[in-house]
Amino acid sequence: MSTSSDTLSTAPPAVALEGITKRFPGVVANHDIRITVAPGTVHAIVGENGAGKSTLMKILYGMQRPDEGTIRVNGRQVSFKTPSDAIAAGIGMVHQHFMLADNLTVLENIVLGAEPKKAGRLDTGAARARIRQLAEAHGLRVDPDRLVEDLGVGERQRVEILKVLYRGARILILDEPTAVLVPQEVEELFDNLRELKAEGLTVIFISHKLDEVLDIADAITVIRRGTTVASVLPRDVTSRELAELMVGSELPTPETRESTVTDRVVLDVRGLRVTEGDRVVLDDVSFPVHAGEVVGVAGVEGNGQTELIEAIMGLHPLAAGAIELGGEDITAWSTRRRRESGIAYIPEDRHREGLLLEASLWENRVLGHQTRPPARAGIWINRAAARKDTERIVRAYDVRTPGVDTLALALSGGNQQKLIVGREMSGDPKALIAAHPTRGVDVGAQAAIWDHLRDARASGLAVLLISADLDELIGLSDTLYVIYRGRFVARLDPGRVTPEKLGGYMTGAIAEDQA
Amino acid sequence: MKIAGLQRAGLTALGAVAAVLFAFAVSSIAIVAAGASPITALQAMFDFGDVTNAVVNNITTILNRATPLFIAGLAVAIGFRMNLFNIGVEGQYRIAALVAAFVGGQLALPAPLHLTVIIVVAMVAGGLYALIPALLKVYRGVNEVIATIMLNFIAISMAAYLVRGPFAGEREEGVLTTSTPPIPESGMFPNVNWLFTMFGLPAPRGAGLWGFLIVAAVVGVVIWVVLERTRFGFEVKASGLNGTAALASGVNPRTMIISAMVLSGAVAGLIGLPEILGRTGSYGTSFTPGLGFLGIAVALLGRNKPGGIALAALLFGFLDRATTPLQFADIPPSVVSIIQGAIVLMVVIANEVTRRFALRQEERRAAGHASAPAPAGASA
Amino acid sequence: MGGVTLLRNKFGKLAISTLAGAMLMAAAACGGSSDSGSSTASPGASGEASQSGSLKVGLAFDVGGRGDKSFNDSAYAGLERAQKELGAEIRDLSPAGDGSNRGELLRQLADAGYNPIVAVGFAYAADVEKVAKEYTDVQFAIVDSASNGPNVTGLLFAEQQGSYLAGVAAALKSKTGHLGFVGGVESDLIKKFEAGFLAGAKATKPDIKIDSKYLTPDGDFSGFKAPDKGKIAAEKMFQDGADIVYHAAGDSGQGVFQAAAAAGEGKWAIGVDADQALTVKDQALSKVIMTSMLKRVDNAVFEYIKAFQGGAKGGSDVVYDLKTEGVGLATTGDHISDIQDKLDEAKQKIISGEITVPDKP
Repeated sequence: MSTSSDTLSTAPPAVALEGITKRFPGVVANHDIRITVAPGTVHAIVGENGAGKSTLMKILYGMQRPDEGTIRVNGRQVSFKTPSDAIAAGIGMVHQHFMLADNLTVLENIVLGAEPKKAGRLDTGAARARIRQLAEAHGLRVDPDRLVEDLGVGERQRVEILKVLYRGARILILDEPTAVLVPQEVEELFDNLRELKAEGLTVIFISHKLDEVLDIADAITVIRRGTTVASVLPRDVTSRELAELMVGSELPTPETRESTVTDRVVLDVRGLRVTEGDRVVLDDVSFPVHAGEVVGVAGVEGNGQTELIEAIMGLHPLAAGAIELGGEDITAWSTRRRRESGIAYIPEDRHREGLLLEASLWENRVLGHQTRPPARAGIWINRAAARKDTERIVRAYDVRTPGVDTLALALSGGNQQKLIVGREMSGDPKALIAAHPTRGVDVGAQAAIWDHLRDARASGLAVLLISADLDELIGLSDTLYVIYRGRFVARLDPGRVTPEKLGGYMTGAIAEDQA
Repeated sequence: MKIAGLQRAGLTALGAVAAVLFAFAVSSIAIVAAGASPITALQAMFDFGDVTNAVVNNITTILNRATPLFIAGLAVAIGFRMNLFNIGVEGQYRIAALVAAFVGGQLALPAPLHLTVIIVVAMVAGGLYALIPALLKVYRGVNEVIATIMLNFIAISMAAYLVRGPFAGEREEGVLTTSTPPIPESGMFPNVNWLFTMFGLPAPRGAGLWGFLIVAAVVGVVIWVVLERTRFGFEVKASGLNGTAALASGVNPRTMIISAMVLSGAVAGLIGLPEILGRTGSYGTSFTPGLGFLGIAVALLGRNKPGGIALAALLFGFLDRATTPLQFADIPPSVVSIIQGAIVLMVVIANEVTRRFALRQEERRAAGHASAPAPAGASA
Repeated sequence: MGGVTLLRNKFGKLAISTLAGAMLMAAAACGGSSDSGSSTASPGASGEASQSGSLKVGLAFDVGGRGDKSFNDSAYAGLERAQKELGAEIRDLSPAGDGSNRGELLRQLADAGYNPIVAVGFAYAADVEKVAKEYTDVQFAIVDSASNGPNVTGLLFAEQQGSYLAGVAAALKSKTGHLGFVGGVESDLIKKFEAGFLAGAKATKPDIKIDSKYLTPDGDFSGFKAPDKGKIAAEKMFQDGADIVYHAAGDSGQGVFQAAAAAGEGKWAIGVDADQALTVKDQALSKVIMTSMLKRVDNAVFEYIKAFQGGAKGGSDVVYDLKTEGVGLATTGDHISDIQDKLDEAKQKIISGEITVPDKP
C-alpha cells in the first residue's frame, strides 16, 4: 500500500525526518519514523491516539530530542534543544488547546513574548501594522484590538496561527485543529490553509478525522504503533482504507440499526431553566428520554449543554422546572441520591470530573459508587470486591493497563475513557448522561464505546448523549435535539438529517424549528 | 498485582535515605564554617551515651518529643488529604490543652474515668474550635487558611489571658509563671516505663516515658483505618485529589469540609496532652508552643500518611534530642538549627522528586503495556 | 502524556512554600548566631563527668536567649568571669526552638557532672523544681524566679527600682513631655519595669504623658525576639510626639533603637539589662541610647558561683536591688551626667525606704 510521494519540485523538502527513534525506559514511543514533507504543501499525519504522533511533534518542535535519526529543515540538518531553536528555524506550532490570555487583546496576545520595542515601550503601531499585513496576506480576518474572550473558537484559532506567523514561521504544525470547530468553521480554516500554501508556506496537519484529511492534504503519512506504516496521496485512498491503515483492522461505524425505543419514560425533563447571575443560560428545555432510547443533543460548545448536564446531575441549582426519574420527582435530590437511584454519568471532561488521576484504577472504579456495592461494605470500602470488579471492567472493556493498581494518569485517554464507561455501566443504571463519550479517544476505543452504548440501549437504558462529533450524534441517536443559546431550537430525525444541515441549526444560520 | 504500590513505597524509602545523606553533606558545610568537625557532629548526633541508663534516657527523650509531633502531624494531615489547609492546628491544640487541663484540675474522679474525661474534653474543645473556620468556609466562603490563622491569634491570646486570669491556679511567691490548677494524680497518665523494664532495661529518669505514647499509637492506627479503609476516608481522598470529580460523584463538599475539619481539630486537641498528662500536670505559661506549626512540616515529610508521619515525628525527635549533645560537642545551637532545617528541606525535595519519578515510571509502564498486543481473551 | 503538568496541584505548591519557609528559618538562625560562637573551657570534655572536685558550672539559656546583647549575654558574662577569676570549667546550652527540652538541658548538665547549674529565665521555674528534686546533690540557681527547692537559689532583681530611675531621667530629659515604654511580653516580670518607669516619670513630672505598648500577650514569648514589632511600636510613639522610649523587650529592643535613630535628632531610647550603648555594635544605634537600666545578671551569676564555692546552699532567694548595685543606670555616653544629682537623690530615697516603688502598674 505504501506509495512514494511523487513531488516534482527540485527544492529540498521543507522537513525530512529520517529514522527517528525515541525510547523511554521500557517503551519505544517512536521507531524509525520517516517522513518527507514537500515545501508549499499541506502534509497530514494521521494515526490513532497513542500511536506516537504527540511524541513525534514534540521532537519536531524541539520539546524532546530523538535518540536516533536526523531532522532536516529545508535541506539543512538541525538539532533542536528547545522550542526556541525550532522557532528560529521557522517552525511554528498551533496547539490543540489554545494558549491565549482571555483578558488581553488579539494584538497583545500575538506579540506576547516577542514585543516590538521602541524606547523600551511596546510599539503598538508597528505591531498593528505588521499584524494587519500578515492577516491580509494570508486571508486571516481578525480585528487586532478585540479582546480574546469575545472571540469565537474559529477566530481564536486564527489568532493562534497569526501568532505563529508573526514569529516568522514558514512551516506550521497544526495539532488536531478541527477538533473544536463546527463544519462551517472547518471550511474557513481550510480556506486559510490553502491561502498559506499558496503563499509558499508548509503545513503539517495532524488529525484523525479522515474525511477532512482527504479534503485538505496534499500528502498523507500514517503512523501506527510508533512507526510510519504508509505514505499515500489522497487521490489514491478512500477514507475507509486510510482508517484501516491507521487501526490495522476493520472499521467501526456508529450507526445503530433497528429501534429499541419503548414507550416507558425513564428520564423526564420539564421546563428547565438555569441562570448564572442575571444571565439565563438554559431556558424552557423539556424532553423525555425513554427506555432504550438515545436522545442526542447537538450544539456548538457553550450553548448550555454543560448546564443541562449539571442540572440533571444535581450539580447546578434550577431556576425553574422539574426532573423526574422513573416517575419520581428528583428535582430536590442530592447528586449522591440521583446516582444511587440509577443515573450514570460520563462527564464531558474526564480529567476534571471523571477521574482521580493520582489514584489507582480500582479506586477510580469506586468513585461515584462508594455508597453502593460492590465497593461498599457498611462504613468500609470493600477493597477486594472493588479490585475484582475493576478487573472485570478491564477485561470487558479492554482497558489496556498493567493492572488495577496502576494510577489512572498513566493510562492513555482512550483507556481512561473505557474505564469510565465501564464504571458507569456498572450497577444497572436506569439512565445514562453521556457527554462527549468518545472525545479524544482513538478509533479502536471509539468503536468499543459505541458498541457498549448500543448494547446498553438495547437492554433498555435511557441515554442522553451530548457530543460535538456529528457523525456520532447522527449515528447513535434515536431522537436529536439542537441546542442554541440555551434553548432547544430543533428536534430532528437523525435518519434524515445531514451534518451540514445540523451545522446550520447549531450556528443559528437556520433559525426555524422545522420539526 | 500490587507490584506498582510496592515499587512506589520502595522509591519513597530510597528517596528519604538519599535526602538524609545529602542533608548531612550540606550540614557539614555549615559545621565546617562554624569551625567544628562534621565527624564530631555526626558522632554527637548518634551518641546515645555509654551506659544503658543514658541510652534509655535518650530514647525516652526522642519518643516523648515525637509523641506530640506525631499527633500534630496526623491532625494536619487529615485536612491536607482533602486540600484543606488547617493552619489552625496551633490554636486548636492550645485552646484544647488549656480547657482540658483546667477541667481536669477541677475534677476528682477515679483514675480511668478522670483520664477519659480529660481526653474527651480536649477532643471536643479542639473539634469545636475547628468547627468555626469550617462553618465560615462552608457558609461564607471564607478561605480556611485566613480564618485559621486569625483564629490562631485569638486562641493564643485567649489562652494567655485565661491562664493568667480566670483559669489560673495558685501561684508560689516569687514565681512569675502561672498555670492552671494541678491535675490530681488520678488524672495523670501513668508512665509506660515498663516498656523498658520488661526487657530488663533501667527505667528512664524524670517523668519517664509518657504513657500518652500508647494513646498516640492507637489514634494513629484509627486515623489510618479511617483514611485508608472507610468510605469517609475514600471521600476525603477523592475530595483532595479532585474536588470537582468528587462533587460529580455525589460527595457533598460541605459535609466533607465540616467533618474533616472537626476531626482534624479533635485530633489536634490531643497534641498538648502528652506533656500535660505526662509531665507538667497543668497548662502553664511555659507550655510548649508551636507544635501545630511543626505538625505541618511533619505531615509534609510524612506525605500525609500515618506511617510516614510516625517516621517524620521520630526524625524530628531524633534531631531535637541531638541539640544538647551537639552543643556539648561545641557546635553552636544555630548550626544545629541549620542541620535540622537542611534535613527537613532535603526530605521534602526528595519526596517530591521521588513522587514525580514514580509517576513517570508508572506512565511508562502503562504506555509499554498499551503498545503491546492486547491480552488474549479481551474483546471489544 | 501530559501527566506531569496535572501534578502541579495545591499540595505541590504548599511543599514549595514550606521549603521557602524552612530556608528562611535557617537563614534567620544563621544571622542570629553570627557573633555568638560557642565557647568552653576545655573542648572535647563532653559527656565525661570528671569527679576531680574542680568547679564545673553549667548554664542553661531560655529560647532565643543567647546573643541578645542584653539580659542573657549578661548572664553569660558572669559565667565567663567565673571561668577567669574562679578557674571554673563552664558549659552553656540553649534549648530547642520551642523550649520543649528545658528540663532535658538541666538533666544533661547534671549528668555531665556540672554543679552548680544556673537556669536563666523564669520559664525554667517548673523544670528547675522537678530536676532539683531528681538531683538533690546538685545546686541550682534560677534567674528571675524564686527558690522552689532546698537546693535551688532564686536570683531576683528589683527591676522596678532601676526602672524608676530610668523614669526620672527620661522625665527630666524629655522636651516634649511625652515618653514611651515598649514591653516585650505582657508578663508580670515586664510589668515591673513598666510600673517603676511610670512611677519615676510621674513623680518627677506629674503631667507627663506615657505611651505603653506590649508586643505580645503573656505566654507568647516571641515578643522578646521580634525587632520588627519593636520598631513599629516605637515608630508610632515617636510619631505621636514621644521623644524618649524605654524598652524592656530583649532582642526586640534593637527595633526600638532603630526607630529612635530613624526618628532623628532629639529622639532617644533607653536600653535595658546590659549597658546597651556598649553592647550594641552599630554606632548609629548606640549613640541614640541615652542610658540603660542595668540589671546586673552578670554580678548575680558570678556572686552565686562564688558563694557556691564558699559552700553556700540553696533554699532561699537573693534579691539584687539598688542597695546592692544589682540594678542601676548606665552612664556610657555621658548623656545623663547633667542630672546625676537628681538621680542620686531619688536613688537614696529608694534605698532609705522613703520611696516605695510599686511593682505593678
